[in-house]
Amino acid sequence: MIELKDVTVRYPNGVIGLDGVDLQIPDGQFVVVVGLSGAGKSTLIRTINGLVPVTSGTLTVDDMEVSGASKRELRAIRSKIGMIFQSFNLVKRTSVMNNVIMGQLHDIPWWRSLLGLWSKEEKERGFQSLERVGIVEKAWTRASELSGGQQQRVAIARALAQDPTVMLADEPVASLDPPTAQMVMKDLQRINRDLGITTVVNLHFLDLARAFGDRVIGMRDGKVVFDGTGAEADDAVFERIYGRSLTADDTLTESA
Amino acid sequence: MSAATNRTQPATASAVTTPRPSEPSKTKATLTWLALLVIFGGAVWLSNARWSEITGVFTDGWRYFQLMLDGVLENPFAEPWSGYWTLALEKMMESVYMAWVGTLIGAIVSIPFGFLAARNVSGRVTVQVTRGFLNLIRAVPELVFAIIIMLPIFGFGPVAGTVALGVGAVGTLGKLTAEALEGIDTGPVEAARAAGARKLAVLRWAYWSQVLPEVVAFWLYRFEINIRASAVLGIIGAGGIGQLLGQLFGRREWEQIGIALVVVIAVTLLVDALSGAIRHRIISGGAVKESTFKEDAVSAV
Amino acid sequence: MSVEAPPRAAATDRPRKPAPSPVVIGGLVVAAAFTWWAGHSLGFSLRPLVENWSNGWVVIEQFLSPNWPFIWRVWDAWVETIAISIVASAVGVSLGLLFAFLASRVTNRSAWGFRATRWFLSVLRSLPDIAYVLIFVALVGVGSLAGILALILFNIGIAAKLTSETIDAVDTGPLEAADASGAGTAARARWAVMPQILPNYLSYCLYIFELNIRASVVIGIAGGGGIGSVINVQFSRFEYENVAAIVVALFVVVLLIDQLSQYLRRRFV
Ligand SMILES: Nc1ncnc2c1ncn2[C@@H]1O[C@H](COP(=O)(O)OP(=O)(O)OP(=O)(O)O)[C@@H](O)[C@H]1O
Ligand SMILES: [Mg+2]
Repeated sequence: MIELKDVTVRYPNGVIGLDGVDLQIPDGQFVVVVGLSGAGKSTLIRTINGLVPVTSGTLTVDDMEVSGASKRELRAIRSKIGMIFQSFNLVKRTSVMNNVIMGQLHDIPWWRSLLGLWSKEEKERGFQSLERVGIVEKAWTRASELSGGQQQRVAIARALAQDPTVMLADEPVASLDPPTAQMVMKDLQRINRDLGITTVVNLHFLDLARAFGDRVIGMRDGKVVFDGTGAEADDAVFERIYGRSLTADDTLTESA
Repeated sequence: MSAATNRTQPATASAVTTPRPSEPSKTKATLTWLALLVIFGGAVWLSNARWSEITGVFTDGWRYFQLMLDGVLENPFAEPWSGYWTLALEKMMESVYMAWVGTLIGAIVSIPFGFLAARNVSGRVTVQVTRGFLNLIRAVPELVFAIIIMLPIFGFGPVAGTVALGVGAVGTLGKLTAEALEGIDTGPVEAARAAGARKLAVLRWAYWSQVLPEVVAFWLYRFEINIRASAVLGIIGAGGIGQLLGQLFGRREWEQIGIALVVVIAVTLLVDALSGAIRHRIISGGAVKESTFKEDAVSAV
Repeated sequence: MSVEAPPRAAATDRPRKPAPSPVVIGGLVVAAAFTWWAGHSLGFSLRPLVENWSNGWVVIEQFLSPNWPFIWRVWDAWVETIAISIVASAVGVSLGLLFAFLASRVTNRSAWGFRATRWFLSVLRSLPDIAYVLIFVALVGVGSLAGILALILFNIGIAAKLTSETIDAVDTGPLEAADASGAGTAARARWAVMPQILPNYLSYCLYIFELNIRASVVIGIAGGGGIGSVINVQFSRFEYENVAAIVVALFVVVLLIDQLSQYLRRRFV
């Protein structure tokens, strides 16, 4: 359960990223966040795992308070929250396995991690995470030798290796071509269904949002302006969220 | 949503279905590390170092450090301390002068060599010969120039050191100037040629004016390096702070050594900061060029 | 009859050539004054070059007839120089790596900590190698140990500077990912940063090894052992033929190592 109570985020330069947001996301829900560029989608996601500090209000994840947590507590909280990025953020010059094990670094003693002495269990957990996204056979290839879609799957596997209760994804398919984007979204959905991991995904394609979101949250200027099911989120709703009429750029596939 | 049903199941538990690819062999990495370890061990052995003496660093080191600190903390305006500070500062300034004049000599001499060694200016044979010559100079330490040529001719003293620094600077500066010339935008060259300019005019206005800022930045960089190099020359009697340091260490005058070292650090940091600031102003967007400097900083020291 | 230039009725005003900026003029004046003052203080004159050329020529002639067999007579000193360079480079670059991580704002989470480290490193680098040799000769006596210790400090300064600048420029994406999964500082540096900088770091290691070989003349002359001490002894005995042989051989060694490290560097990248 993720719970935001009147959360405001003000960046050091004075920009308001989130403006009094109240949200409750129950366990296992698949939430899609939409909004124009600059609406505060990334800020919302990054506030949930404490990468961006809360200015006022309270934010709890599984009853652990993120707002006002010490560095140590924050690391413990983050170890239970997986995160996926638009640009994958893999270490390209090392093997897929090392990248996936990076998700478990929180639980590995520092001397073992410095030497890269992974235990059998850690490697097996890496394999199982890769299995979830269907690329076990790439475990020992260099990350730089993978395609974009494969790299994003490694990034998902890295997050899975954390054994997370919450998965955050900031525009995970924005740098992928349409078919690959569909597949990666399906992977995320399957993981959500199979493992019951609460998932929050930022998207800017309306059709993807409608197709995958159990729940769609619309944001504008740091505020939540829509909160409903994917079915409720019709074109009129999106026009209200965006404050403009829709264009072809707002959908992943032309036909949608 | 019904998705939350199997919440208790660990995220990655699932029946093994896909075969695990076998981990690539680590033998090569292990062997490499072993080889490096053997080389290191061999070097420790063959270096003939008397490792037991290392305790001196901790016992004497602390004592000498306190002595140096005493020297630095004494009232710098009272005799004899004021004299020590003045002497150290004078000698350090002599090193700075040596570095400055030496760099200037090197800079002026390196200009024609730079043009001769640039592929887009000179013919192939000329380039090859000039580059070979510049590399030769780069490979010989300044100290050797000073010993071989300068001391017999100029006698002991800062002038010998200055000329040695100048000769040493020709190697790197010539090479860097040539590389800068090779990197110029060819548009102005063609424009000047099309307008019927003579070769010399083209070189002056199309080539030189394009590389000037960069080349001046190289000069300043070399100046920074030469300040350190001039200290080395002092040790063989070529003047400057190196000579003073050599004498002080010979007499174990730790208080004075402390003062001299503080002066060296302060003046060097100051000159580095000044010269660095000017370099960055001269070449705006200097970040890219910094890497060229970097490589040469290492190979030029 | 000369044709008079047609009087231009209304020639537009020619813009004046802009004067060079006062900053540049001021800078040039200061530089010229400083040059004059520096030359004056040094008693700088190139006249000896003409007058004493014959003095120099005697020495140069000796240099032009190197005593080749001498190179092999001091075989031990060569081995010692290489060994000193290997030990000093290995220790120096390892410690340098540690300092590099502390000196980059990317890997050191404490703003205060990385500034302090940077400051310490610039002080470390501001002393010339010769000063370190003199210090360690005083502490542990004449010999290769002093040379090794001096080179280690020297190497830390350079390795840390070059490497920390490389760290500053890494892709911060993986760091963000490591932070988001709650990784510790050391693990983050090892797995999000180290793989990215490894090729550069290895090539710095080779540079530093080369540099140490080059520095061996200086090291030895100040009492730090190796081939430099041979040069020192032969020089003080005026055996310039022997010195010349050593210098040429050193040149060849430096060239060989340069080639070797270029080959290795190509394999890293
Ligand atoms: N690190 C930062 N410092 C200051 N202001 C920031 C920072 N990050 C974001 N902002 C500002 O906060 C607001 C919300 O930004 P955010 O990145 O959350 O938008 P977004 O909805 O993710 O947009 P996009 O679709 O372009 O990614 C913007 O006005 C942005 O300029
Ligand atoms: Mg965003």
